[in-house]
Amino acid sequence: MGPETQGFVSPPRHHYWKITLVALAVTCAVAGGLYYLARLYVINEAERNIEAVLLAHKGMHRYIQEVMHPAFYKLKAEGMVAEKFYAPEILSSSFIVRNQHKAYNEERKAAGLEEVYYKMAAFNPRNPVNKADAMEEKLIRMFNENKELKNYREIVRIDGKDYLYVALPFLVNKPKCLKCHGDREDAPLGLQLLYPGQGGFNEKVGDIRAIESIRAPMEQQYFVIYILFASSFAGLLVLAGLLFFNTRLRDMVRVRTQALAQEVVERRRAEEEVRRANEELEDRVEERTAQIAAANKELDSFAYSVSHDLRAPLRGIDGFSLALLEDYGERLDETAKDYISRVRAGCLRMGDLIDDMLQLSRLSRGEIHRQEVDLSAMASEIAGELQRGAPQRRVVFEITPGITVAGDVILLRAVLDNLLGNAWKFTAKTEGARITFGRQEEGGKEVLFVRDNGAGFDMAYANKLFGAFQRLHSTQEFEGTGIGLATVQRIIHRHGGSIRAEGAVGRGATFYFSV
Amino acid sequence: MRTNMILLVEDNPDDEALTLRALKKNNILNEVIVARDGAEALDFLFGTGSYTGRDLGIMPEVILLDINLPKINGLEVLGKIRATERTRLLPVVILTTSNEEQDKLKSYTLGANSFIRKPVDFQQFSEAIRQLGVYWLLLNQAPPLVKG
Repeated sequence: MGPETQGFVSPPRHHYWKITLVALAVTCAVAGGLYYLARLYVINEAERNIEAVLLAHKGMHRYIQEVMHPAFYKLKAEGMVAEKFYAPEILSSSFIVRNQHKAYNEERKAAGLEEVYYKMAAFNPRNPVNKADAMEEKLIRMFNENKELKNYREIVRIDGKDYLYVALPFLVNKPKCLKCHGDREDAPLGLQLLYPGQGGFNEKVGDIRAIESIRAPMEQQYFVIYILFASSFAGLLVLAGLLFFNTRLRDMVRVRTQALAQEVVERRRAEEEVRRANEELEDRVEERTAQIAAANKELDSFAYSVSHDLRAPLRGIDGFSLALLEDYGERLDETAKDYISRVRAGCLRMGDLIDDMLQLSRLSRGEIHRQEVDLSAMASEIAGELQRGAPQRRVVFEITPGITVAGDVILLRAVLDNLLGNAWKFTAKTEGARITFGRQEEGGKEVLFVRDNGAGFDMAYANKLFGAFQRLHSTQEFEGTGIGLATVQRIIHRHGGSIRAEGAVGRGATFYFSV
Repeated sequence: MRTNMILLVEDNPDDEALTLRALKKNNILNEVIVARDGAEALDFLFGTGSYTGRDLGIMPEVILLDINLPKINGLEVLGKIRATERTRLLPVVILTTSNEEQDKLKSYTLGANSFIRKPVDFQQFSEAIRQLGVYWLLLNQAPPLVKG
């Protein structure tokens, strides 16, 4: 067996882990990309939150300084407010904003949102809650050292949660700021009374006094990332599944295709074998045909030499017996003459046997030339010949007209010659002899028959009727060689038909045959 | 020259004797030349072999030709007779034991004038010889001789 015909083709498994790797890599890349985008989005969201808060604060500061304070100072100038009056709830914008933010956070909380940390961080605040922590101090210094810097941004992690932290420089001290933040002695008395320490004083113009330190939660925004992650992962899973399924399908198709190809190869081989077997058969048939042809040829020459070489001596025996009788008859007694006539009778019978045998062999050979033959007409013709041969006999012929078959006209003539001749012969001693040629249905098939009411035969010997040289009557009773029915049967068989006989002693015989 | 001679080509001595007897019994007293095989028959007809120098002006009135002959068979002899100018018109009667269709067909194809099957029954044989004699030697007008 060649390599293309090995059994099953196992699907290559290495494909699957390759696919898995590729799917994983793609998943990671996409997930990374998505994460990055989502994070950008979340940070952006947080920044915007912070910006919104800061803008609100800025607006608040402006309102305090541009609307509220001028109105207050006007009242004070008009003497409506005591000169030493000071209340941070009205005069400290950072106090107001801080408490406003506190209230804002409380509202956020009530709305289910996380708080936004906010602190006005300073080195030296009046209120200790505004005292900068270590990091804020560092940032204040940084902003002071580099005035160009407008903000600082960082993502910080507190208690496992991410926050966006932003620091902005608050105000650069202006001269009017020093009214309350300059030397303690220059500050309003109310202020001095309220804040006994140095907190919030001794600021210098141009310095950044504080930073806004703000921290917005990002955790809730991560929700978006989770959703994105989940959906992209699900999508990728589907894709990977499809890829896997596709590969499996392709493998299956490949395996099936290979199996089919193998089958095709096997079919071809089988066809080739059949073809070879056919060729061999044809060769053998040719060989056999040649052998048969040779055998036939041999048979022909055998029959030929039989016809010549067996008959010639017979003619000698007969001729010289007769010569003996004619030339020396007067010297022979009656017994001797009887013997000589017996010798001659034997010769003639032998001659007839040889002739019949030759006819049988000749009819068995040669090709059958089929044509439409009118058997009824042929039977009538034979009946006429028989009648002319023995005009003294009274025989009634009943011949059904229009019986035609496809067959060899010469061979079928021999069949009817024999069957009608037999009927004629075996009715020789019958009163009211009647010979019928007709047809009948048997199992849906047409069967022809020749019937007579003559000597008949014993059904016990029915199977012997068709054997060559088989006779059921002595030659004294009915002459004949016993070749006729053998010839008939052989011709019928050569036409693909069958023949059988029915009869009873003294009650005639019927020969049924089909062609 | 016409001599009413018969050429009998027959290899079987029994058949030869019976044929001669039948001729005699039927009072056919013409000269009978017997050739025992095809070669001898051709030697006689063409004046060759043992017949060298024979007067070829003398030709048989009829040739009785058997088919099954040693050396050269009857059909070949017939073929040569018909192929030769001097002998091509001679009446040839095939007288044979054969009853084969093929032999009849070949004989007539080669130009036999008649085909007679020898019966086993001598009386029938004798009758056949008698009729042959009457027909070919008395009734039939032989073709003119062809000068060689």
